[in-house]
Amino acid sequence: MAKQSRRNFLKTAAAVGATATGMSVLSPKKAEAAPENILSVDRMGVLVDTTVCIGCRRCEWACKQAHDLPAGNIESYNDEATFDKKRRPDDTALTVVNKYPTENKPHVPTYLKVQCMHCDKPACVSACIVGAFSKKENGSVVWDGSKCIGCRYCMVACPFQIPAFEFEKALEPKIMKCDFCFERTKEGKLPACVDICPVETLTYGKRSDLIQLAEERLKLYPDRYKNKIFGETEVGGTSWLYLASNDFQKMDFPKLGAAPAPGVSESIQHGIFAYFIPPVAFYALLGGIMYITKNKDKSEEE
Amino acid sequence: MKTKILLAVIFFVSAVFGQSIGKDHSKLPVECKTCHACDQPTKRNPCLVPCPREEMITIHMNPEDSPDVITIDQFKGQSDLYSKVVFSHRLHAEMSGMSGGCAMCHHYNPPGNVISCVDCHEKERKRADITKPDLKGAYHRQCLECHREWSTDTGCESCHAQKVKPGSPEPKISKSERKERVHPKIIEPTKKVYKTDDYENGTLVTFYHNEHTALFGLECSSCHKNETCAKCHSQFEKVAEAEPSFEKQHERCASCHDTDNCESCHTTKELPPFDHGKATGFILKTYHADLSCSKCHKSSKTFTGLNKNCVNCHEPWSAETFDHKVTGVILDETHTEFECENCHVESYSVKPTCDMCHEAEISFPKKIPGKRIK
Repeated sequence: MAKQSRRNFLKTAAAVGATATGMSVLSPKKAEAAPENILSVDRMGVLVDTTVCIGCRRCEWACKQAHDLPAGNIESYNDEATFDKKRRPDDTALTVVNKYPTENKPHVPTYLKVQCMHCDKPACVSACIVGAFSKKENGSVVWDGSKCIGCRYCMVACPFQIPAFEFEKALEPKIMKCDFCFERTKEGKLPACVDICPVETLTYGKRSDLIQLAEERLKLYPDRYKNKIFGETEVGGTSWLYLASNDFQKMDFPKLGAAPAPGVSESIQHGIFAYFIPPVAFYALLGGIMYITKNKDKSEEE
Repeated sequence: MKTKILLAVIFFVSAVFGQSIGKDHSKLPVECKTCHACDQPTKRNPCLVPCPREEMITIHMNPEDSPDVITIDQFKGQSDLYSKVVFSHRLHAEMSGMSGGCAMCHHYNPPGNVISCVDCHEKERKRADITKPDLKGAYHRQCLECHREWSTDTGCESCHAQKVKPGSPEPKISKSERKERVHPKIIEPTKKVYKTDDYENGTLVTFYHNEHTALFGLECSSCHKNETCAKCHSQFEKVAEAEPSFEKQHERCASCHDTDNCESCHTTKELPPFDHGKATGFILKTYHADLSCSKCHKSSKTFTGLNKNCVNCHEPWSAETFDHKVTGVILDETHTEFECENCHVESYSVKPTCDMCHEAEISFPKKIPGKRIK
């Protein structure tokens, strides 16, 4: 975070500002992520079938291992008491599994893995004023520590409240969130959680294939699932998709529309800056003051 | 010449064999579209649709003939956290009897031999075809779908030992123990009385379970088709289900019995066990008492009243053609000479006594006019 020089920061800030204003001039209503961000048709995703998850929490362990976080003893993950309170991903655990009662099967709980959803139209990318977040070609939304200035706008912008900040660290604190194992997938490996899951609750594949697979399952087993693929349309679509036999809102999923989250923030932000209103208004104001004071001087001279 | 004949034989056999598989296959009582997506599937491109789990399995194997245990060690080459699993196959096959049979696990077996999981489910998790789970996922899902329903113990160690820690404890049950495990004999109830308070004309339904199995000769699986393990093994208190529909409530009885006359089952008092004499007026004595119902009531399911005349079941007979053997006694030469009426004076249903002709010391059944065979 602190590695960025002042010169570089100003350059990026200027670039981001220029694109934002430029874009707003061309199409003030259409919200778009920064130009370096790609939305590939072949982007990958994960389908989470919560009806098969057994709550072993091996994904949590594997995630910590893969991200050099203290993971602890694997047996400690068998402790049922962990499920007593609902947890959120934070700077020490980028993914967590929570437990909910199942509507149609009272004795078989539903386990729900939570992590970054890797939105197709990510609000964090849009909110970040220095372009530290980017949507990569394989679908992952990743954070670049060398650009971040620690403003934490991303935390406010995220509709799923995922990015976490290392508040405990005085020096070089980082924004922590699931990066879809960007480094692993680059090497051709699977994301760590997908790789370890014993029941393959997590199916890794092309997002388009996953939607097809999910639709197929909903058609084949209408009694097993609520007829809904969470993430297919929510906030413009997410790379991670969910199937469940419960209502998603009852499992602490936010109720979201199909409009991309950046749309709201960007329309406000860009609306203010549309057609160079602030600079024009500012210069007009200065000009006005100058004009008035100049006239005043003249009249006093006379 | 010899080789030519041999080749011809091989060709003939393979042609017949190959054809018969193909024929069986297309004769299956399922729509082609259930499995194939395209109109003309070929061997090279069968264009199979994602696993439909239709009832199309041709496994008819007794649990006793199936493997005792199966060692699942498909991943031994990989760096895995856990070691192999010894799966007590026969025990599970026995248990599946009342919950769908072999097809419960062998859910997508094409006609022919039993195929193993790895034939369909790929070993590699990173794969192009994601329509079905990979092998590891398939194994775990198959086991845990039931295991987690009747026990919250989804702990890995209940099936396999940890590999990462050398010297970690072996799984709870050893291989030899697994081999010998059988499901304890299921003790069936004799009588069950159901309270049906919603039906005021008769609030009791008396069901004699033992009659249905012993007397009417029904198999467990004739009624118990899709029971879950959790029905008996659940460690949780039973939660009252939502009120089932009339059809659902009567489904089991109605598969054999008519539901037109409610009072035939719903009574005010507990019913005594089935008595053929009282219920039909035809008392089952001697030979008839030992017969199974279907011997006389040939059209299955409906045990409607039969004509009580003997000839309704028995062939009409005459003294000339009658074989006395069917009564259980082969008459000796002397007695064969007599007319029937000489001994059977009153009625054929009354056994004749010896003193009708002989002195008192000869008495039936100590002395028999021939040889007893029953």
